[in-house]
Amino acid sequence: MASTILVENLTKSFGANRVLHGISLEQDRGEVLILIGPSGCGKSTFLRCLNQMEPMDSGRVTVAGISFEAKAGPLSALERQQQRKLRTLAGMVFQSFNLFPHLTVLRNITEAPIVVRGLHAVQAEEKARALLAKVGLADRANYYPAQLSGGQQQRVAIARALAMEPEVMLFDEPTSALDPELRDEVLNVMRGLAREGMTMIVVTHEMGFAREVGDRVIFFDQGLIIEEGSPEEIFTQPKKERTREFLRKVLAKTT
Amino acid sequence: MLTGHAADTLQAIRQRGTLTWGADAEGGAPYVFIDPQEPTRMVGFEFDLADALAAKLGVKARLVQNSWDGLVPALQRGNFDIILNGLEITDEHRQQIALSRPYYAYAQQIVTRKETTGLTKLTELKGKAVGVLAASVAQRLLEKMGGADLRVYPGNVESFRDLNNRRLDAVLLDLPIAIYYLTKEPGLVASGAPFELGYYGIGVRKTDGKLLEALNNAIEALLADGTLQRIYSKYQLWDERQAKLASYHEEPLVSQTPVSALRDWRKYLPLLLRGALVTVEISSLAMILAVAAGLMLALARLYGVAPLRWLAATYIEAIRGTPLLIQLFMIYYGLPNVGIRLDAFTAAVLGLGLNYAAYEAENYRAGLEAVPHGQMEAALALGMTRAQAVRRIIIPQAIRIIIPPVTNDFIALFKDSSLVSVITMVELTKVYGMLATTTYDYIGLGLMTAALYFALSYPASLLADRLERKLRYGLHHPR
Repeated sequence: MASTILVENLTKSFGANRVLHGISLEQDRGEVLILIGPSGCGKSTFLRCLNQMEPMDSGRVTVAGISFEAKAGPLSALERQQQRKLRTLAGMVFQSFNLFPHLTVLRNITEAPIVVRGLHAVQAEEKARALLAKVGLADRANYYPAQLSGGQQQRVAIARALAMEPEVMLFDEPTSALDPELRDEVLNVMRGLAREGMTMIVVTHEMGFAREVGDRVIFFDQGLIIEEGSPEEIFTQPKKERTREFLRKVLAKTT
Repeated sequence: MLTGHAADTLQAIRQRGTLTWGADAEGGAPYVFIDPQEPTRMVGFEFDLADALAAKLGVKARLVQNSWDGLVPALQRGNFDIILNGLEITDEHRQQIALSRPYYAYAQQIVTRKETTGLTKLTELKGKAVGVLAASVAQRLLEKMGGADLRVYPGNVESFRDLNNRRLDAVLLDLPIAIYYLTKEPGLVASGAPFELGYYGIGVRKTDGKLLEALNNAIEALLADGTLQRIYSKYQLWDERQAKLASYHEEPLVSQTPVSALRDWRKYLPLLLRGALVTVEISSLAMILAVAAGLMLALARLYGVAPLRWLAATYIEAIRGTPLLIQLFMIYYGLPNVGIRLDAFTAAVLGLGLNYAAYEAENYRAGLEAVPHGQMEAALALGMTRAQAVRRIIIPQAIRIIIPPVTNDFIALFKDSSLVSVITMVELTKVYGMLATTTYDYIGLGLMTAALYFALSYPASLLADRLERKLRYGLHHPR
């Protein structure tokens, strides 16, 4: 089976601070990957490097056949085009939703398909309504983001990313900014996506969700992959002391 | 310095030992001007005359600088004792203040470029672009005749400049000024004989009868003992006309009721409205230019490559750091030196528009920067180019943020547009000034003018308010 994502030897520094120390990773089509680790461990930066929101220092990223290599200096027009292609293949969901406040829910979803992919407005809208139904917000199409709850906003953000028909969905702590009672509605949408066979990488602190939905769990610390394995392996019998320590702290907090 | 109105001014002058005289030294040659050879010193035939008059009264003379078309109201409110600055003895002036016997007989002179022919008489100026000094006899003569393309200048230097630059066909002005400037302008000539004899007199407040009498006696004495001839000859201004000074007889003044612009609003409002139309035209076009150029500057400064960023920042700082008035002068009078000759309207729109573009650019930059960083990220993550993201996501959100400061700037620009009168545009404030200096109804005309400005700017505020509310995107109005 061809891998959907291939990361080779990815490094990244912010000034003198090295955040990622040569990460390599392969993800199969339809696999749900969960990234866990203490805050500041580099898991979010890793996700942002995947869709080129952060430039890499060295290494190579391949998403659904589109490769992108680290490069110093400005990108050529062709490379920028390649970069945009890669981004449309990797849908991104942010911790802070980042919906466009000046557009209605519907237009938040149709904007990129129309502008970037040249989709006809009627088709884009039809598709957007279908996606809104899927995330349970069919009746909110004409609302503005400010009129929605946080959970509803994040579900719109997921629909917005799905509208570009990505090969893989990247979730950067999608429930961290939400009140606990609003988290489930978002996690349920993500469960549904996983069931449909969507390839996903999820950075999260929701250990229950990770255990339930994840095919593979990766523990990050200090810019390195410390340990990876099935949820069963990681959560019940972690091999590394650092993994055990992290899980002890996190699970103590949530119970 | 304020002197008492009702008290005996002559006595006050003697007590303090100085005679204060109001005049405008800006472009004031040969009357009173800064000595080009020695810029700390004042010279001019009226400067010498003031000294001679003061000596006759047994005091020293002291010049009080005042813009020329504001001399009469300034005298009335007591800023100085007398006006001694080419003030024509006319019925209009005599309605407002008392005038002494004449101290100089002048005439009007047409000045053209050397190669111009056929402009030797007043009537031949019809259909020609003619420059005049604001509120001068020349302006009134041409207005009365009609048919000339009249351009009104705040000073004399500017009209000669535009004559050289071919923006004008001729300048009509008082002979003494022509005599002085023609020695410095080799390309210009006096065209035809001087005409329309008139007299300069000293202006005093109507209540200062004793001072007037003393001044009349002093002038008579200076004429008799040859002092006047000596002073005028020094400036090449003594001619055969001055023989008439001794035999001058004042015509009796037919007293008129003072003008009330509010009562006669039907007469004055159309004139003010015509000025208001020019104001609206100039400010609207200038604002469109400012918005477009400002947006370019802001985008260049925020998202441009390094040299572009630097250029935009330099432009903004240079324009904001220098007065609009100087920029207007440079565009209108300076650019012809490098071969760019703009008409006054274009220069006014460009000057105002490019000036306000700098302020708009900073408004927009602040607005664009106020849009959260995550908005750009979300747009890029969806595959948009930076340009698409800026145009569709960032700018629409910035607009709501910048509406209040931009409205503010538009209203400020609207009022600043009055500055373009320095480059001969006759807009609302200029019309007000021109009407006020002939009618002296500063209050009535001022109220009408202010009401017009308000009536034009307030709807802009209301519109901006509504737009801002409309762009709240449901923040305060749940459906």
